[in-house]
Amino acid sequence: MENLAAEQSILPVFVFFGAILLLVATMLGIASVLGERKQTKTTDLPYESGIIAVGSSQVRLSVDFFLIAIFFVIFDLETVFIFAWAIAFFELGWHGYLAVVVFILILTIALIYEWKSGALNWGVKSQTARKETS
Amino acid sequence: MENLPLVPLIPFVSAALLIATAGRLPKMVVGLLGAGSIAAAGLLVLNIGIEFLRDPTPMSIHLWTWISINEFKPAFAFYLDGLALVMMSVITGVGFLIHLYSTEFMQDDASFSRYFAYMNLFVSAMLILVLADNLLLMFLGWEGVGICSYLLVGFWYQDPANGAAARKAFIVTRIGDTSMALGLFLLVAELGTLNILEVAEIAKERWEVGATIPTIACALILGGGLGKSAQLPLQTWLPDAMAGPTPCSALIHAATMVTAGVYLVARNHELFMMSPLVMSAISIIGVATLLLAAFTALNQHDLKKILAYSTISQIGYMFLALGVGAYSAAIFHLMTHAFFKALLFLGAGAVIHCLHHEHDIFKMGGLRKKLPVVFWSFLIGSSALAALPFTSGWYSKDEILLATWSVPTLGPWLWAGGIAGAVLTAIYSFRLVFVVFWGEAKTIPDKQPGLRMSAPLIILCVFSIVGGLINMPLEQVFPSQTNAHAAGPVAWITMTIAIVGVLVSYLLYLRQQINVEPILNKPALKKLRYFWYSGWAMDALYDRLLVRPYKLTASLLKTELIDRFYNLIVESSVASHRALSITQNGKLRTYAINLVVGIALLAAFLTGIV
Amino acid sequence: MTGTDFLALSPIIALAVGASVLLLQIAFLRNLKLTTGITVVTFLACLFFLFYITKLNHQTTPLLLVDPLSTFFSIVFVLCACITTFISYEYLKNRPGRNDEFFLLVVLATMGSIVLTYATHLASFILGLELMGIALYGLIAYPHQDDMSLEAAIKYLVLSGASSAALLFGFALLYAITGSLFFPDLLSGLASPEVAVGPQSPFWARQLILLGSALILAGISFKLSLAPFHMWTPDVYEGSPAPITGFLATISKGAVFAATLRLYVIGEFHNFPTIVTGLTILSIISILVGNLLALRQENIKRLLAYSSIAHFGYLLIALIAAGTLTPNGISAIEPSAYYLAGYIFTTLIATGLIAAISSSNNEENANLSDIAGLFWKNPLLALCLSVSLLSLAGIPLTAGFIGKLYIFQMGVEAGAWLLLSILIIGSGIGIYYYLRLIFSMTTDPSSSRSTLAPALPVTVSLITLTILVLYLGIYPQPLMEYLLWNT
Repeated sequence: MENLAAEQSILPVFVFFGAILLLVATMLGIASVLGERKQTKTTDLPYESGIIAVGSSQVRLSVDFFLIAIFFVIFDLETVFIFAWAIAFFELGWHGYLAVVVFILILTIALIYEWKSGALNWGVKSQTARKETS
Repeated sequence: MENLPLVPLIPFVSAALLIATAGRLPKMVVGLLGAGSIAAAGLLVLNIGIEFLRDPTPMSIHLWTWISINEFKPAFAFYLDGLALVMMSVITGVGFLIHLYSTEFMQDDASFSRYFAYMNLFVSAMLILVLADNLLLMFLGWEGVGICSYLLVGFWYQDPANGAAARKAFIVTRIGDTSMALGLFLLVAELGTLNILEVAEIAKERWEVGATIPTIACALILGGGLGKSAQLPLQTWLPDAMAGPTPCSALIHAATMVTAGVYLVARNHELFMMSPLVMSAISIIGVATLLLAAFTALNQHDLKKILAYSTISQIGYMFLALGVGAYSAAIFHLMTHAFFKALLFLGAGAVIHCLHHEHDIFKMGGLRKKLPVVFWSFLIGSSALAALPFTSGWYSKDEILLATWSVPTLGPWLWAGGIAGAVLTAIYSFRLVFVVFWGEAKTIPDKQPGLRMSAPLIILCVFSIVGGLINMPLEQVFPSQTNAHAAGPVAWITMTIAIVGVLVSYLLYLRQQINVEPILNKPALKKLRYFWYSGWAMDALYDRLLVRPYKLTASLLKTELIDRFYNLIVESSVASHRALSITQNGKLRTYAINLVVGIALLAAFLTGIV
Repeated sequence: MTGTDFLALSPIIALAVGASVLLLQIAFLRNLKLTTGITVVTFLACLFFLFYITKLNHQTTPLLLVDPLSTFFSIVFVLCACITTFISYEYLKNRPGRNDEFFLLVVLATMGSIVLTYATHLASFILGLELMGIALYGLIAYPHQDDMSLEAAIKYLVLSGASSAALLFGFALLYAITGSLFFPDLLSGLASPEVAVGPQSPFWARQLILLGSALILAGISFKLSLAPFHMWTPDVYEGSPAPITGFLATISKGAVFAATLRLYVIGEFHNFPTIVTGLTILSIISILVGNLLALRQENIKRLLAYSSIAHFGYLLIALIAAGTLTPNGISAIEPSAYYLAGYIFTTLIATGLIAAISSSNNEENANLSDIAGLFWKNPLLALCLSVSLLSLAGIPLTAGFIGKLYIFQMGVEAGAWLLLSILIIGSGIGIYYYLRLIFSMTTDPSSSRSTLAPALPVTVSLITLTILVLYLGIYPQPLMEYLLWNT
């Protein structure tokens, strides 16, 4: 029975899981028990060696970076779908072809939308938008 | 006859329109809508009536099933038979005249539209009440008319006294309604249906006459009837209900709603016949109420209150008739009473309207020449009320009293009570006529009733005279009566006793030949008169017996143990609310931890670890 | 794909086409009125197709099953989405910035809700859920100059993501045991847990199913905001734009519940007593916590959030009782569908009115003081809100009463006395805070500054909903028959 198989195949996973927990706990536990505690000038620095950081770590980055990154992810994933279709091109036949056409059509519409709404421009999108609404 | 459902629907739609527009329509339109909708319903009833009389087979129209949960499937269905037809005709016919009258009477009122909205809603609810084929739907109409009565009694709500009167009417009838609801629960539990015909049928099969359960059920349902029809011991609300506009008193508290109790018993007469005990109780309550109310009416000097007590008294006659099994006579009296009491109320309204809202009859007088139309209406209405020969009230009251006489054992006693009531009725109704319309004028009317007020009065005058000749199609509804009517002296006394009362009244109030003032002013009698005046001190009695102990208990319990228990619930709720509110601290990490702990607990629980 | 397949999918296709058209329209011509118009036309087209396929019962690929019940739910959702559009237009028209994409997101979220409703496969379940969820993140954060709304969106994003992860993990565990993601195949082979308890039975398999179910239950409970997964609800409802609060409280929750109902009944989860017990606990805590938290709440949006926690606790009773009443658990469908429809219409009235208030006040939140004296200023809308609140409280002649009666009756038949007593206690507490709102509408109007005069479509839709709630309460028979006939 497959349940039996599942039981047998999963039990080692749990054992492994437990072993990892035990190992990590031991390492951290031993370190905290045996480790030396010293309060010096450099203890609270981020690096004990190297260059000391300057300025705030919370720098504001332009949101356009994220936008570009998201576009990349979206279009990249879409390529993955098209690749998958391409591999099985003959098996899927016209049916698959139509489906991909619809898929690409929707992609194109999205691209047109992005283009026209200025999402692909760097930094000036809100101005164009305002011009259009007025 | 398929348009039967339209009859209650038309007034309802009109009411809904008036409510939705909230007084934004011009008065002209409101009047047309208010009175017109009743006229339309009336014409429909006329049409249905003609058809029904041609082929008098009862029919029921099943509109829809309201809800069906398991076995309980109450229907929204109407049942048309002779009784329903008579009631519908009275409601729409008299109702239309009163609406027409109202268009003039209420003309200067700021809440003209609200008034008609309530009135139309009332007519609609009342029609549902009489057309319902099951007791649940009837209860819907029953409560509908109750709420309209409440709204109209407290119509001029700026005066707190009117609000108090409305509450009193509502609470007192509510006692009856609760009893009725309990009765309905009992019927559902015992018989599994509320359909009136089925109830009667199954009851006959399942129960013996005089068994305990039907007696309890009938007594409980009767409680509802007593409350609505202002019979002993729930009669105290009706005189106070006169705080509403006079036409509404005419429609609700004289012609239609207060007779709903009579209709209820008549409609379920087969059920009530299962319990002779309750039937005897009905007749005794009827006689007691009619005497009590007549004595009180004799001592009142507020025009509307006299009429209110006379209404209670006349409904007492109807209950007497029901109790002795003379159902047709009861419905007959219901109809004639609707004519002449509506006439009297509308006449009273005209007097009050023309005399700067004067209610005290001793401040009126000599109006015979000043308001001739009103005078004649009052004269005819009072004659019918006193049951002078050949008026409509004479026919119906005679039928009741003669039927009463023929009842074994109790009959003659009840009859004697009825006769005494008849004398008193004649005395107080003509006292009213003599004091208001003869003698010297004390208040001068500043206006005359217009056409829209006079026309209904004249039409109702005609009906009050010839209404006794109407032949009601009730043969199929009620069992035929044994015609062992008393002959000879009993019949003669019954027929002519009212004249004695009129003569007494004539001597006392018009001729004033017998000067009774010194006798009446003797301390003992004065007290008695005051006792009667206060409606046999029923209000005081209830105040002492029920209201004060109730308030006392309430105030005692305010700080007592039981209340502390309820306070504890409140406090614990508030405390747990506070405690739980702390968890809603708006911190994402708290929420996330909560989520994770929740998942862990749920997983642990389901997998059986916890 | 056959013709019937296309017919079955036509409502979803209509929404997809509508969304594409909206994209193009926004790209070339920004005009809020036009966008609103296209959105409404899209919803009407979708409704047309839905009404066309009311009788259709068709499995379209293993992913979606189009049957009359889901079509009924979809009609309710699209109707509400359409009304949300009217309310949103009122809300957006005076706001600066680009508001057009709002409607695009509304269409997408509605599409997600329909996919969710039709789902018979864990893949389509998660697809619909996420389509709806991602659109909602955007909608919640739409007024992005407002800190409250951003905060709400972040909270919802993080917590909803975590709960989706739990849900997916649960699906994975179930798949590991059963090898299927198709609802009917999920537990049918393993559905008799009593067999599995025996010594010769695969104990671990059972444990993993239960663990998976627990994770799925937790994920769904989060979306339905059942206690103890409820904490996000008030904050998110409060921060969202008022029309979206309505969307969250009605369509979003309704769709998740509709899908859960199907998963529960078709997947035969009711055969596991421990799962039923788990549901019972969730239901009890939700009813108590929801009602107690709402008790003295001044902010109406938060109050509605708490009340919705309690209401979904009531709804669970139908699921819990169903297993005991009928072996296939089918008796859960009729009462819970009725209750859900009534709840959705009722809540939409309340949230719609709050949206109207906040549009006219130009601020996001409506407090108790904002509706003070509403009866004197706008009696019609006050009446609508009163009906809605009375229905939420379960007062007779409203849809809420019939729904509760239904659930109560189920509980009685199943003998779930503990749940019923909790239901009574919860309803008792509920009456207090619902009536408090009604009471505050009758107070002296001078203390509140708002003048409430929403546009005609909003007023008309609110009145329509009110009539619908009253109709369902006065004359429930047609819908009952429809539901009974189609289950």
